[in-house]
Amino acid sequence: MTRRKLAVTLLGCAAFGLIGCGEIDQKAKVEKVYAGKKDTRAAEDPRFGGDRKKWEATLAERSKGQNEYLRTEIK
Amino acid sequence: MARMKFICDAERCIECNGCATACKNEHEVPWGVNRRRLITVNDGKPGERSMSVACMHCSDAPCMAVCPVDCFYKTEEGVVLHDKDLCIGCGYCFYACPFGAPQFPQAGAFGLRGKMDKCTFCAGGPEENHSKAEFTKYGRNRIAEGKLPACAEMCSTKALLAGDGAVIESIYKTRVQRRGKGDEIWGWAMAYKRGDALASGVKS
Repeated sequence: MTRRKLAVTLLGCAAFGLIGCGEIDQKAKVEKVYAGKKDTRAAEDPRFGGDRKKWEATLAERSKGQNEYLRTEIK
Repeated sequence: MARMKFICDAERCIECNGCATACKNEHEVPWGVNRRRLITVNDGKPGERSMSVACMHCSDAPCMAVCPVDCFYKTEEGVVLHDKDLCIGCGYCFYACPFGAPQFPQAGAFGLRGKMDKCTFCAGGPEENHSKAEFTKYGRNRIAEGKLPACAEMCSTKALLAGDGAVIESIYKTRVQRRGKGDEIWGWAMAYKRGDALASGVKS
């Protein structure tokens, strides 16, 4: 009987100890929402006329221009 | 399009300050505010390296998370911008930023802080594109003109690369492989292993 009580007590302690292994969710509950003014999108500039693909192509071309291997090596 | 990013190649940077100067000139940034600056390690010693640092336009930006007035927003291209009309100059973003990007102009006597100013990736801010208000508050909007940030375009050694993350990553990768390194430059071992372990060819 005493053994049984001891086993139950130990199991109870172990189960209680496991609570410490839990992890409390620390993620912020409140979603951050931008409260300021609306911005105009870059592609809406008159020179691109809202054509995002054209704007992206222009920027990609310019980005590739940073690779001097493309400019200096004989193809 | 992926996210807009900066990469600074420490092997190429010669600490000329061309990027910082280009930024200052392009946006007429006030005295005491440095949207971009140079960091040098091992100055004057063998192994000296320099790195151009500004706002890195983080994917999960800590400045956005801590702002009490929610004045930060992210454009479709991943550029982190803020509304100066809403900013209260509290400085929380400065403490949160691991790069020291937010800058505060002195707005009066006794060290009074003005509204936060930082690199905009030359994408202006929440004002009409190319308007006087946009230029005064945020600087020139080169992105809407189809151009890259002035700092990267000015860089004489092309140490500082800016643009679509995928494009500049491929430029940088090609460059490092040409220097005589291969695939070991990517992954866990390069990021976390010690130099001697890498040299002896120990893989993760």
